[in-house]
Amino acid sequence: MDIILNQYYLQIVIFVLVNAILGVSIYMTLSTGQLSLGNAGFMSIGAYTCAILTVKAGFPVYLAVPIGGAAASFISLIIGYPALRLTGIYLAIATLGFGEVVRVIILNLKITNGALGISGIPTLGTKISKMLSSFGLSRFGGLTAQQTSNLLVLVVLIFILAFLVFFCTRLNRSRVGRAFASIKADESAAEAMGINTTYYKLLAFALGAFIAGMAGGLSAHLTFFIGPKDFAYHRTVEILSFAVLGGSDLIIGPIVGALLLTMLPELLRSASEYRLMIYGALMVIMMAFRPQGLISEETVRFWKRKLGRRIKQ
Amino acid sequence: MKKGLTKWFTGMMIGTLLLTTAGCGGGSAPAANSESEGAGAAKIGVVAYLSGGGAAYGQSQKEGLDLAKDEINALGKVKIELVYEDSRGNNTEAINAVNKLINKDNVVALIGPTLSGEMFASGPIANQSGVPIMGTSTTAEGITDIGEFVFRNALPESSAVPQAVKMAVEKYNLKKVAIMYSSNNDWAVSGYKTMEQALKDNGVEVLATETFADKDTDFSAQLTKISSLKPDAVMVSSLYQEAALVLKKAREIGITVPFVGTNGFNSPELIKIAGKAADGAIVASPWYPGKENEKITKFVTDYKAKYNKVPDQFAAQSYDALYIYASALEKAGSSTDRAKLRDSLATIKDFQGVTGKFAFDEKRNPLMDATVLIVKDGQFTELK
Repeated sequence: MDIILNQYYLQIVIFVLVNAILGVSIYMTLSTGQLSLGNAGFMSIGAYTCAILTVKAGFPVYLAVPIGGAAASFISLIIGYPALRLTGIYLAIATLGFGEVVRVIILNLKITNGALGISGIPTLGTKISKMLSSFGLSRFGGLTAQQTSNLLVLVVLIFILAFLVFFCTRLNRSRVGRAFASIKADESAAEAMGINTTYYKLLAFALGAFIAGMAGGLSAHLTFFIGPKDFAYHRTVEILSFAVLGGSDLIIGPIVGALLLTMLPELLRSASEYRLMIYGALMVIMMAFRPQGLISEETVRFWKRKLGRRIKQ
Repeated sequence: MKKGLTKWFTGMMIGTLLLTTAGCGGGSAPAANSESEGAGAAKIGVVAYLSGGGAAYGQSQKEGLDLAKDEINALGKVKIELVYEDSRGNNTEAINAVNKLINKDNVVALIGPTLSGEMFASGPIANQSGVPIMGTSTTAEGITDIGEFVFRNALPESSAVPQAVKMAVEKYNLKKVAIMYSSNNDWAVSGYKTMEQALKDNGVEVLATETFADKDTDFSAQLTKISSLKPDAVMVSSLYQEAALVLKKAREIGITVPFVGTNGFNSPELIKIAGKAADGAIVASPWYPGKENEKITKFVTDYKAKYNKVPDQFAAQSYDALYIYASALEKAGSSTDRAKLRDSLATIKDFQGVTGKFAFDEKRNPLMDATVLIVKDGQFTELK
């Protein structure tokens, strides 16, 4: 039990969950076959909106996080309308440029405190435990205050992620989800069938931005400090690699990708200076043998068949 | 079906094997990083920028710490064991590293991280856990406001820069100056703000404020404008890479006035890159290897013998930091009690280190004097 409740492991799991949420955000846009690299930009919009609201305006976190998501989503509509006329590599470049523009704007605004960033952001854990203690639930037998707050954050994040997964699986079976899939399969054919492709692409883009913005808001309240450097293009690449490694066919793909890519650097800590070399080598090997990502629809079918056979026996 | 089961089994075995090797590695890593000092050694965790763009800073810190550790252990009053973790200059990595050191390695205290931003992210965790953490290079404003357990022996810019500005104003009778700073570097912006305040306090007029960005290489537009205003001096807040290029370009277009810099000027690299153009660069530094002092000479010789180079400020401040911890540990009389260590750390005063006489003020910032240096004929010399 001590091992499970170790602060270090709890913290890693928390980062895994936040990254998994980011993975869902890129899955959202990828589900219409659009490669958008603006997620770090949307994440930073969410993070800054949320941090400014809680630090400077005294908003409660549970309101600020969705507002951060909504702000990111709103900006994505403005950007998306012209940008989504582009496809493939052109859209990727345009959204990548958007991310950099956001970063430079943040760097030069007064309210975001420029390059100095915003520090002293209240943590999600203390906020939640404060809320609970006002209901008379302050301590759970034998846990330190820190463990309690981390566990609470964990529960909240698991809840959010579970909801997102639920939402996406339901979405896939709905009219909207079918439209997404048809656009991904063949955009012109989908258009010929009477699907308003611009509308659905924009919808996926805005949903992805909303989730990324929320993840940004959550992460701002987990790292105490945000600066423009945290949302540079390397973050976009990181988010994209969740989907590339895990596979982008199914929602579980980016989540598994986020899990592996967040845990690996920590597991490899013992290798000290060779850490990043091993990490890089693993990525290359993975791509060489599973270019479609770890989990594809085929994988699921394969295991279902296998397990099904075993049950029958 | 049998075959399927075997496949499953092999997969599981490989998985377990991988996990256990990773786990074992984690357990034995500290021993590999630093030779075991035996029972009773105080474990101190170090979070440093050891890989990536700023790895040179982290490397210097590591070298300074290793040297201090060997000396302290040879003296034998307290035994210290160091556990290093890399933060890659990344906030979440720094948080993970601090968490690991506190909860997995059970360190009694922490040194680092290298960057101020990393400290803002990971300092609160150490503070909540009740583990003393000391920054050796975190000069930004507000670091020690994080909490009771956060210390630093890095001289904040707010203390070093005014000393340099004041000295330069008196020495060169400055009336009007121009300022340049790197606007996308948190630390440089913070330095610029102190600079502006110091100039105001000394009644100096600011003719122009020009900005650039880290990794810029062309400064002709800004410098041509400054040149036309004919200032008595130029103030620069940036890291040494840009500072050196600014100096080079400025001398090229005929600006001969002195340049006053923030801590970024304080590196031998500045002179290496700018060459003759570096002459007339002024900076206040707690660290000056050429000072006539037995302790400093010994440190410089030992460091040179071990690493074959002159220690920079990062090495010197880390070296001092470990000695400060050593004397606090000695006073606390325990190598595991974190709270006791914090209390004895807070009372440190009249400590003699290679960066001069040292004490913590009530906000756990260092009280120390800086030496104002000027580059003359390619050498840092004291400005008197």
